[in-house]
Amino acid sequence: MTTQTQQLQAPAAPVRRPPKSGLTGHRFAGPLFASPALLGLAIFLVAPFVLAVVLSFYRVQLNSPRPARFVGFEQYTRLFTDPDLAAAFGQALLNNFTFALIVVPVQTLLALALAVLVNRQLRGMVVFRTFIFMPLVFPLALTAVIWRLIYSRGDQGLLNALLGLFSGGTITSHDWLGDPATALGAIIVMSIWQSVSFQMIIVLAALQSVPAELYEAASLDRASKWAQFINVTVPGIRNTLIFVALITTIFSFRLFDQVYLLSRSGSVDRNSTETVMTQIINTGFDNNNVGQAAAMTVIFMLIITVIAIIQRAAARQRGGIQ
Amino acid sequence: MMTIPKPRGGAGILTAAAAASIAALVLTGCGGPGTGAAGPTVEAGSGEGTINVWAVDGQAAENDALKKIISNFESSQSKIKVNLKLFPSDQYTKAVNSAAPGDLPDVLDFDGPTLASFVYNGKMAPLKGSVSEETLSNQTDSIKAQNTVDDSVYGVGMMNAGLGLWGNKKLLDAAGVAYPTTPDKAWTADEFTGVLDKLATVIPGGKPLDLSEQYGFAGEWGTCCSAGPVIWSGGGTMLKDNKASGALDSQANIKSLTKFASWKKYTDPNADGLAFTSGRVALSWVGHWTYPTYKALGEDLVSIPLPNFGKGTKTTSGTFAWGMGATTKNGAAAGKFLDFLMTDDSVGTYTDANGAPPATKTALAASGLYGPGKKLELLGEQLSRACGQEDKITDSCVSVTRPVTAGYPILTDQVGKAEAAIYAGKDAKEALSAAARAIDQNFADNDGYKK
Repeated sequence: MTTQTQQLQAPAAPVRRPPKSGLTGHRFAGPLFASPALLGLAIFLVAPFVLAVVLSFYRVQLNSPRPARFVGFEQYTRLFTDPDLAAAFGQALLNNFTFALIVVPVQTLLALALAVLVNRQLRGMVVFRTFIFMPLVFPLALTAVIWRLIYSRGDQGLLNALLGLFSGGTITSHDWLGDPATALGAIIVMSIWQSVSFQMIIVLAALQSVPAELYEAASLDRASKWAQFINVTVPGIRNTLIFVALITTIFSFRLFDQVYLLSRSGSVDRNSTETVMTQIINTGFDNNNVGQAAAMTVIFMLIITVIAIIQRAAARQRGGIQ
Repeated sequence: MMTIPKPRGGAGILTAAAAASIAALVLTGCGGPGTGAAGPTVEAGSGEGTINVWAVDGQAAENDALKKIISNFESSQSKIKVNLKLFPSDQYTKAVNSAAPGDLPDVLDFDGPTLASFVYNGKMAPLKGSVSEETLSNQTDSIKAQNTVDDSVYGVGMMNAGLGLWGNKKLLDAAGVAYPTTPDKAWTADEFTGVLDKLATVIPGGKPLDLSEQYGFAGEWGTCCSAGPVIWSGGGTMLKDNKASGALDSQANIKSLTKFASWKKYTDPNADGLAFTSGRVALSWVGHWTYPTYKALGEDLVSIPLPNFGKGTKTTSGTFAWGMGATTKNGAAAGKFLDFLMTDDSVGTYTDANGAPPATKTALAASGLYGPGKKLELLGEQLSRACGQEDKITDSCVSVTRPVTAGYPILTDQVGKAEAAIYAGKDAKEALSAAARAIDQNFADNDGYKK
């Protein structure tokens, strides 16, 4: 019981603040120690973002001898009023949100389920853990080739062959990536397969730090396995789960490589799978239209910021992050 | 409380740093045009010394052949030495575009569709005066069309590229299909559908056609080699008077590409790239470069022209070629090297290594593969019947050069994207109109990419 009391008290104990007079003696210590990190932030985060904002007010073409031309808010008005651009950007945002809405809950729960599964003390569990973790270790460019074969149209596709086998040939061969209705779904499945193990490892670490005494006490109280899971495990790893949901959300909005690798190489209607990230790269580096891409980046950044703030506020309200 | 002023100080530094970097950017942004607009400043030089050569790091055999040609060049005379630098293919265009005028090489390799943009950016020098008349007049018309920008020749090519349908004779015979062997007798699109219907009955799974889907239509393959020949053969163009609206979204293009998409149900997705060699399909729509693998079929391998959508069969031509850096101080020596690259011996060495059709008239006629009466005579004949650019297409010419414009990046992206969407089932008019609007917007933003 002693360890438990310590555990509960530890976060509650207030951090001892040094006396105020001490600070005056080291006026520059704080900024000095923070400067390497601040410099890094300035160079790699603040400067590029400020540049993006500036570029978004210009008409800039990559590899062009023409000087950048100041156009004010033109890139933004185009993004929202030009029927083609607005539709494409809206579709990309919609794809991102659809992806996040499905992937965040599914992947977090799946990670939890897998973590609970591999947390059992069974012989050979290391082998299972290794297998589940493997997709994350393989380069995505490599696994994408395999997935293209899996999703391939016609009876050559592994998925179609499998479905045909189980359905006795009643399921006709489907074009999983080529059909706009299933293209995003196919990418979602591949994406979850590829990255769920990362979240699983984080949850697993949290699971192993839940004190065994709590389970012992719960089983003395005759709590069923399910009751133990709901009342001991989940509260014990609550912060981790919130963290996992947060980073999965961020990953979902950053979605790029899966889409790029799976849909560029096939004969796919790009609009059906385009995410904001792939669209920005396409606009900026395939079409060389840097100004337009910068405007997209700025809008996207604002949207992500709003989502992050809402998510943090929601997590705080539920007493999540302490 | 005392910490409040400090972050402010920090923020001041950040703003200053950001401001400085913006200033730097704006400066380089404005510096670019100055250097680019300066135009070529070629000096003939002494005709001796070392010349710098940039090339794309190609297949191992190509690189070896190039090195062999260079060593032949150095031993054929004693005054000029060659300093060769190879770049990875995905970095090459970037390297040329970001090179300062003084860093540009004397001689450089370039991919056909990038030439107009290099010229637009002031990276290339016209060859007239540096390269001999004999070399220039020995270039085939199809490669000349690619290497000419605004009526000046900026490049000379050793090799070319061509498309066709490779056929598996055994399967064609089994289905009782007679096939054309000359461009004039090419199947019409409707006949082609009938052929596919017949072939589908002898192929298990009923998918006798390979359209090289594994390359992806939404990219250069789509524009160059799939949508391009379809559009041109149907009597359409991608651009007309530097505008895509009214050209790319024309009724002819809608009809041709819809027809093309209707063949999807006969098409093997070829995700593993083995459809033709494993005998899964009877016909494969691809370029000359698959010949080294396809020749495993032996006598059963036949070459057939692409289907005719109304204005005769068309293929795309053009590939990597050689030009001169805009600021070379040794134009005479660079010209001599280019002359040597275009001799029959050099062209033979190079095209033997990669199997490509030669781009010079004499080497093409002497080719053991593409010459008259040889195995790939069809591809050779197609290349010798050059149309030039798309605005000069006639019923009888066959090889079309991709649009020569500095706006090619947006053009290829949008045409490929539209083709992929149509193939995936989207309405052709909608897809092509959207692509045309995007292209025109980008051209308008850049004043039509005119100098």
